[in-house]
Formats: sequence, structure tokens, C-alpha cells
Amino acid sequence: MIIPEFEYVSPQSVQEACALLVQYGDSARVLAGGSDLLVKMKDGLMKPAYLVSLKNLDSLKAIRYETGTGVIIGARATHNEVMNNRLLQEKYRSVCEAAHSMAADQIRNIGTVGGNLVNAVPSADLPPILIALDARARIVGSSGERTIALEDFFLGPGKTVLEKGEILAEIIIPDQSTTGSNYIKFGLRRAGALAVAGVASSVTVSDGTCRDVRVVLGAVAPTPMRARQAENVLRGKKISRELIDEAGRIAAAESKPISDIRGSIEYRRNLVNVLTRRSLKAAIEKGHI
Amino acid sequence: MGTAIKKGKLHVVTLTVNGEEHAVLVKANTTLLDLLREEFDYTGTKKGCELGDCGACTVLMDDRPVNSCLVLAVEADGHSFTTIEGVEQGGKLDRLQEEFINQAAVQCGYCSPGMILSGKALLMRNPHPTEREVREAIGGNLCRCTGYVRIVKAILAAAEANS
Amino acid sequence: MSEATTKEFSVIGKSVPKIDARDKVTGRAKYTGDLKVTGMLIGKILRSPHAHARILSIDTSKAEQLPGVEAVITAKDVPATFYGISPARYDETILAIEKVLQVGDKVAAVAAVDEETAVKALRLIDVEYEVLAAVLDPLRAMDEDQPQIHPQYERNISVEIHQDFGDVEMAFQQSHLVRTDRFQGNRATHVPMEPHAAISKWENGKLTIWSSTQSPHYFQYHIARVFGLKMGDVRVIKPFVGGGFGGKLEPSAAEYVSAALAMKTGRPVKIVFDRKEVFFHNRGRHAQHIELTTGVTKEGKILGVHGKYIIDGGSYTSLGIASAYYAGAMLPLIYEFDHFKFDCFRVHTNLPSCAAQRGHGAPQPRFAFESQLDMIAKELGMDPIEIRKVNARRPNTMTLNDLKVNSCEFMACLEKAREISGWVGKKGKLPPGQGIGIGCGGFITGAGYPIYRTRLPHAAAIVKVSEQGDIATLYIGAVDIGQGSDTILAQMAAEAIGINYEDMRIVSADTETTPHDFGAYASRQTLMSGHAVKQAGEEVRRQIIELAAELLEASVADLDIDRRVVFVKGSPEKMLPFETVANEFFIRKGPLMGKGSYTPPKLGGKFKGAAVGTSPAYSFAAQISQVEVDEETGQVMVTNVWDVHDCGTVINPNLLHAQVEGALFMGMGEAMYEQVVFDDKGRPLNANLGEYRVPTALDVPQVISELVDSYEPAGPWGVKEVGEGATLPTMGSYANAIYDAIGVRLYDLPLTPEKVWRAIHERKKPS
Repeated sequence: MIIPEFEYVSPQSVQEACALLVQYGDSARVLAGGSDLLVKMKDGLMKPAYLVSLKNLDSLKAIRYETGTGVIIGARATHNEVMNNRLLQEKYRSVCEAAHSMAADQIRNIGTVGGNLVNAVPSADLPPILIALDARARIVGSSGERTIALEDFFLGPGKTVLEKGEILAEIIIPDQSTTGSNYIKFGLRRAGALAVAGVASSVTVSDGTCRDVRVVLGAVAPTPMRARQAENVLRGKKISRELIDEAGRIAAAESKPISDIRGSIEYRRNLVNVLTRRSLKAAIEKGHI
Repeated sequence: MGTAIKKGKLHVVTLTVNGEEHAVLVKANTTLLDLLREEFDYTGTKKGCELGDCGACTVLMDDRPVNSCLVLAVEADGHSFTTIEGVEQGGKLDRLQEEFINQAAVQCGYCSPGMILSGKALLMRNPHPTEREVREAIGGNLCRCTGYVRIVKAILAAAEANS
Repeated sequence: MSEATTKEFSVIGKSVPKIDARDKVTGRAKYTGDLKVTGMLIGKILRSPHAHARILSIDTSKAEQLPGVEAVITAKDVPATFYGISPARYDETILAIEKVLQVGDKVAAVAAVDEETAVKALRLIDVEYEVLAAVLDPLRAMDEDQPQIHPQYERNISVEIHQDFGDVEMAFQQSHLVRTDRFQGNRATHVPMEPHAAISKWENGKLTIWSSTQSPHYFQYHIARVFGLKMGDVRVIKPFVGGGFGGKLEPSAAEYVSAALAMKTGRPVKIVFDRKEVFFHNRGRHAQHIELTTGVTKEGKILGVHGKYIIDGGSYTSLGIASAYYAGAMLPLIYEFDHFKFDCFRVHTNLPSCAAQRGHGAPQPRFAFESQLDMIAKELGMDPIEIRKVNARRPNTMTLNDLKVNSCEFMACLEKAREISGWVGKKGKLPPGQGIGIGCGGFITGAGYPIYRTRLPHAAAIVKVSEQGDIATLYIGAVDIGQGSDTILAQMAAEAIGINYEDMRIVSADTETTPHDFGAYASRQTLMSGHAVKQAGEEVRRQIIELAAELLEASVADLDIDRRVVFVKGSPEKMLPFETVANEFFIRKGPLMGKGSYTPPKLGGKFKGAAVGTSPAYSFAAQISQVEVDEETGQVMVTNVWDVHDCGTVINPNLLHAQVEGALFMGMGEAMYEQVVFDDKGRPLNANLGEYRVPTALDVPQVISELVDSYEPAGPWGVKEVGEGATLPTMGSYANAIYDAIGVRLYDLPLTPEKVWRAIHERKKPS
């Protein structure tokens, strides 16, 4: 197979990268890990004239904690780097587990967090858990930077809010009072499978009451979506098996799946029901985020 | 290790393969897989699907397994690679290679280079893996001949030799 | 007499390491795509985007002008000879002439200095198509309103088979219970890890082709025919092959087009399929729609079976006629009954062509039969293993379709499987959601008749001992595609001669240097090529013993050879090293060689299609699997599989069990994960290894592979097949285990989580 020809540039700074993206406009794509981009190019689905490589931008690699901000994950961190990161394992282990559930070892050594988010595939595994943890996206462009809720980052399949010349630089998980979170993915084999449906949940529980909760669905809507009605069932209530069951049913009804070669609408709704229940149960019982 | 903005159709890439440093001139759309097979004649790295689904093209990039079909040669600049040809040292087989032979883990052999490299990388970072960890390490290496049974046995046997 | 007897042998019966293992684990093994020939060009094929279309015009002028392009060809530049592999059904051409019959059909081709140029040139070829309505549903392919795909196959019927043995209607009338059930099999495909590849070189009127092939002979035969060359002017060489499973049994566009381009340019041309092209070429599993009616007595004895099939053959016939016959021929093999009716339509559709895949036409009927037998057992209140024992074939019997079974230890397989799986303590006693089920199978050990009509022996072998007598080289046409034939045939040669495995060298699968062999298919080589090898080795042994008798002043009858020592039986101190005698032989008489060949006996009945299913010997197997079903998602986890095989004497235990494990794995993939799917325009939706899901190392169960003692008189040292037998029982075993776990019956392959969930859902609905 052939990758269509392109001009390759590897800028030395984020600002330089943004300037190039402005200059080349729609004929340029950002090259992070390449595990998604190169496949699309080989399949003839994309033919960018320019690839702007982030290869030299070491500042985007780091995973660190910043007091007052939270945990910061650089967009160039690979999925295995996320999975193995001590800080994340300690503070947000579910994020590590979500990264672990992706693809296979080889892809996880190439694919990046930023790439996974910017590709905006509806079945992506990182967005649901990150959104459940109230993550923010720090976007850098030529004219400055902005930080938005990750929940607002996605516009549709393959579409994000990134404007011309903007790069997703970092994901921030803010300090929070969450007591537990969990991501469950259902795939059709145990490695190398996209999610047929995925559910992430985070809860803040005290005295058997659910003070706060987030339920985020993946692969069952054009973008990752909050199941707000399901959340409302639980929020502020004493936790019970019946409430969790109801949350599952409502999340299923809220979801907007389509039928494709991996699953039908009906089956996906069923998965949302089951996975929501199981995700909430794990988030409540596990006691770690 | 790049220079300032590189434009144009040909690039100089410096990389280490199996311990030897090379400087080559490549087109931007050349994959590491093609570079290894065509330029260096390291044909032990195989083409199975070219889309990152099968693992037959697995090489170690700075000791980590990657699908070389999805790494651009220009992105390989400054990195160190091990292919299957670099696993034996001085004509002596690695213990893992010996166990692949002893355990009859090789049938058609097309997946074997990728499997061995994934196994080797696992044992380098985790000398005493559980069976589950072995299966995860080769989760991205498809095999059509063996059902993975003896491949898992071989990797575990090589691990045992480490103790 | 399998593992017990082999203790008497010196070389066979031992798990020696594979003769090519070192090459494979070091990366030294060269497969066709790894080879480089001086002056080589890269060939690429332009493929149709339409499932069914007339070619109105092709303009190659722009492609021809691209720098680096050495040739562009269309149908007018190549022989228009129709080819195929089923006799009387040559319906394919090198490049499509009037019509394309599937998405991916071959339209034009380019040879260029590198792959990138070749691909760019393809994009410069302009093809004008008239798109035609396509036949995409095999169940409707024969309807009056459907487009006709091939002019010569009316109503898109590729073959129509009606076989009638005994009197099924009477059998049903006499039955205590008669059941009819419908099953739908899936279109699966081989997915060899190595895609098809060929390098063709045309020099001085001679064509040399390196090819990833399962049969250099069939390739040589067909390529010579198509290009009008004598066979001696076509040399087919097999480098290492990365899996075949039936998909590389006939020349593909890789061979034909590279040969045509080599002839046009005068330079060697390499064509390597990308993964999508492997899906387009296909030649994989027919999806079979099966309506099965079986009648049994009160005791569960099968009286009669009626199978009605429609099977999806895809675009070209390929080996599909045999597939259609096998679908019926194997059904009466493992259980004894006297009345059988088989009605089968193989139809054409505008989808990739289907042909032989491991088990060749027999796995899906096996799935149907094993599932139905369990349903019958349930109605009668019988244990599934008990009902199988009532019907199990016995040794030295003839099936109703004239298949002669010599050794058969099927009963022992059933009993051993029951024992090692813990069946008695588990059946009906596992916690809810867990289940155990059995599936059985049996398969041929080589086909009784070759694919085309010929009197050639099926296998031949030459052994040449070195002049020093220190090593021996085995020359065979037999093809190692990963199953290990090079290794076990070397073991057999060493055993027959009386030397060690380490003393053997092997040259295989080159039509110019190795003797004829039909190749790796139908699990034939251990028995058939093995016979030839044994004969060749024994001829060497005889010559050594004759000369040693002279040298040792003993009589021929008193001499033996073992592990490189020629000795007098009973007086081992009267001995000579093998190499001494061999060296002396060369000095006195010239080259020390042995020859062997094998032709199976005339087998089979006189009815139409009787040849298919005939074989010198048959393997048998019982496979039990244990599953856990997550009823909320339908996900089935197969935790354990126990396979017990009757495969005769074992030449190499490790390689044998490795084959069982691999065959079972492929059965598992087809049972639960794999299906090629298309959109409403006949375009494949999952022609890649991300969405066509072959199980990964994390998906496979714990496998226990065991054998029963068995000796096959028709096989050298008592051997039988094993490479395909373990694929057959798996689908039925899983379906039966799932039923045991959750009380729902699935009739539709693959057994995906969604299907399981739906079946559970249906069961829960108030009726």
C-alpha cells in the first residue's frame, strides 16, 4: 500500500506549529502518533498536502501535577505512557484502565491522547472517562490559547471545535471530590476491537448518598454524550440497587446509537443499560477514581 | 534530534537498527516497514495488513513494540530499533527463540518475528509475567496457525529460564 | 497403536524440532514477497469498483506515459483462455474481458519500477463501465428475476446435486421421531498471515514463478495451459509460505498477471496482494443454508437423513464443485445410517468467489448435524454422548455412499472426551449461565482422486545419500505451508533408511528439481507423500543391506539398520557404520538413491459425484467445550476445550497437537467471530483485519488435545490426517454448550454476542 505524497515539516515549537497550520490551512494535518492518520491516508480517505509533525515538541509529552490546576496530560503522551504513569495510576486509575482497553500494545506505543481526542471517533475510549472526570482541554493557537470543558470539545464524528491553526495541547483533570470512577468498554474481541458501546461514570459518595454523579456514553451517539437524565436519577439520592437499575434504563433510552456492522440500535441500547449499571456499581464500590 | 523546519520531498534520517547507526535519504511517505525491508534488506519484518491490525510488522522502537507499517521513516529519526534479525547475538539464539523452537510454537512462521519481538519486549520490562500478561503482550499479534497455545508456552518457558 | 507403538521407532513418534524452525525464528526464512530478483518490476492490478458491470472501454494511454511504467495490460494483451480448477467449469480469465463479476475483479494491470509508480499508474487508467444489477443474495440467486452472471450457468446455478441412497421417506415413516431444522452458515475466509504473492521471470521461452503456493504442480499445470506452454517450460518454485488453508491451491491473479507482465516487459515482475486483495481473491468458506431432516428410532438410532442446501459460490467456480459435493459426502461418515438424500444447489453471486477452506465444505453441515443431534437427544431424554455412541461408526465398515473406512476409533474418542472433560459431573450440573457441549467430526486423509483427470501418482519421492554417506537428501514435491510436512517427511525418510533425523536434508516443492506431488490440501501429505517417502527410504535401506551382507559375510535376512549402524540382529558387535557402507556403495556402483511413488487404490461407488469423499483413510474426533455466558450482553466465554482425536500413528506429537490447536482455533473463529459482510452494492464492509475479527491470544480458551490409540493399515506406519479434522466439531460443540448454558438454540453462524442476546430475549418473551 502507498501513502499519498505529502510535504513533511517538523517545527521546533508549538507556536511554530500553529503558524504553519495557519499558513497551510485545510491542506495540512497534524501528525502526532499517526496510528489513525496514516491508516486514513493509506485507505485513500485523506490526502493532506502537508503533515505538520509534533515530533519535536517535548513540552506536549509530559504528564504532571500542577497545584491549583490538577493533573495535566500532554497531548503527545502515548496510551501506554498514560497506562503506566504512576501519577495517573495513583490519582485516576480509571483513566489508565481506559487507555489499557484500547487496541493492542503496539498501537498504544504509537497512538497519543491528543490524537485519540482530535480524531473524534464516536467509539473512542478516552473521552468518556475524561469527561466523567470533568476534564478540560487546553487549546493553543497563533492568537492565544483557550481552555474549555472536554465535554464541549466534540462536534460530531471526526469534528471538534479546533479552528484553523489550533492544536490541542493538554488535557487537564482538575482536583475533585470524586470518590470513584470507572470505564467499561464492550468490544467484539478482547484486543484490537472498537467499543460497540462504552460507559464511564464518576461518583461522589458519602454516607451512602450520591452527592454528585456523571455518566458518559461512548459509541452510541455522534459524540461522547452525558447521560444527564440518568445522572438526575441518582444525584442527591440515597444509593440503592433500584436506582442504579433505573439509571441504566434511562441512560439506554437517552442514548442515540446507530446500527452498523458491529451492532444494531437495539443491542447497543441494551449494552448501555447493562454497562451503565455495571459502571456505576464499580465506581461506587471500588472506592478509587 | 531534528534540524530546523524540514521541507521538500527528501529527508535525511539517522537511526540505529540492530545496533548499527545508519543515515539514509527518504521520501516523507516512506514507512519504516518499507525502509527496513527495502533499504536494509531486513525482510524478517513482514507485511501482513499494512494498517496496524495484525502485528506482523512489529519492531522494537526504543525497546517498545510498534507497528512499523504505521511509523513514517522520517519520524524514526533519532530512534533506536530492533528487528528480528537483531535478536540473536553473535550467532547465538536468544532464549526466547530457542523456546519457540522447542515448544513447537512456529508453524508457517509468518507471525513469528513479530511475536518474538513482542515477547522479548515483555520479558525485558517484566521478567516474570503471568499467562494473562503474556497474552496481553501478544494481543496485537495475530496468528492463524497455532491458536497461540505454544507461543504462550514458549514465552512463559523463556521467562522461567530467567529465574 | 499410536503413542505406544511409536516407542518402538527411532525417529518417528518423536517431537523433533522443525527442520525450518531456526530460519523462521531468526528472520532468515524468505517468503515470496521477501525475494528480490535482478531487474525486477512491481506489478499492481486495477480492480473493479462494481459488483457487476459491463466493461465498455479502457483507456490506458495516460498510465503508459507515466515515467517508470514499463507496461500496462488489459484483456486484449493476455491470452483469453478460460481457466479454473474444477473440471468442466473454466470460467475465469486473467483479466476481465466483457464483464466484471464482483467488486475487486481484475480489469487491468501495470508493471512499474516501484510500487508507488505502479499505484499512480493505476489511477491514470480510465475505465468506462455500464453498471448492471448485481446478485447479492444466494437464496434469491436462482429466482427468475435475477440477473444472469455467467452466460453458461442458467439461473446462476453453478452445480445442482441430487444424491439418493436407500429410501429416506420410508426411513422417516419408520422413525419414532423426525425433526427438520434450518441452519445458516457464514461466509468466512482463510486469512493466511502472508498475502498471496508471486514473482514471474520470462527468459528464453521459459517461465519461472516463485509463488506462495500450496501446489506447485497444479500451478504449473494450469499456468502452462493458459499460456500455451509445455509444462517443462514452466517452473514453479515454492519459497517459505505463510499459511494457505485452501486459499492458495490454484494460481491467482498474482501468478497469471505477473507472468503476463513478465512476458510483456521481458523483466521479472513481482506482485504481492495487499490485505484487501486477499479478501477480493477469497476462495474461502461457502455460506451454506441447510435444511436438515433426520429420523431416529426410540433408542436414538439414526434411520435416515435428508439435507437440502443452497450454498453461496460467489463469482467464479474455482474449486467450488468439490465443495458442494463434500458438503453432502462427509455427512454419513461418522454415524452409521443407511438412508440419505442430498440435494444441493451451489449458486453464483456477484461476491468474491468461494472454494476450499480447511474442512472443505464439511464444517457447516457438521454444525447443523451436531446441533440437531443434540436437539433429538433432548427430545428423547438421552445424554448427547449416549446418542452419539448409539450411532458411532465402527472400524472396517462402508458408508452408505461407498466410502471405505478402515481404522475408526470414534467410540474411544467419545469415551475419552467424556472422561477428560469431567462431563458426567458437569452436564446439567453447572451453575446457571455455564454449559458444556459436544461436537464431533471426521475427515478424509487425502482425496481419492486428484482435482483434474490424470493417471499420475499422487505423490513421489527421491532420496539421495551423499557420497560420504553422512547425510541423505529427500527430494519431494510435497508442500510445507506451515503444517510441518518437511519435518515429518524427513523423519519418515530417516526412519525408513535407518539414519537419524539430523542426517536428513530436504529439497521440496520445485517442479524442476523435485518429483511430482499434488500438494498440500485435503490433509493428504502425511499419508500419501509419506508412502512415497517410506518406499524411497526402504529402497535405500535394501541396497545398503545387500552390500553390507557382502561386507559382513552375513545373510540379508539377518541384517538391520538403526541410527546409522548396520548390524547383524542378535550380534550387534558385527556391525558397520552406515556411512562406511554407503560410501563403499558409491565407489562400486555410483549414486545411492531410492525412489517411491504412491497412488491410492481405486475407491468409491459408481454414482455421480462418488469420487468426492473417497480417501484411503478417515480421521475421527470428539470435541467438548465449556462455556460461560453473560446473559445480559450475550457474550460467550469459551473457557475450556477438550479435543480427542483418532488420527492413527503419530509421527511428531508436538506438531500433531499444534495442528489440532490451530484447526480448532480456526473452527472457533468461524463459530463465533468471523463473517465477511457487504453493503447493498456488493462492496465489502470489512475487508481488513480490524473488522474481520480473527480471535486474538486473549480470546482463546484453554485447549487440551488428546489422542486415542489407533493404527491405520492404509497409511505408512499407520498414519492418518489431523490438519482439518479438528475444525469440524467446533461450531456444533459451541452451539451445544451454549444451549446447555442458557437453554437457547442458535442456528445462525457466527454465534455473536448480539445473536445470543436476541435468542435469550426471545426466550424470555411471554408467548
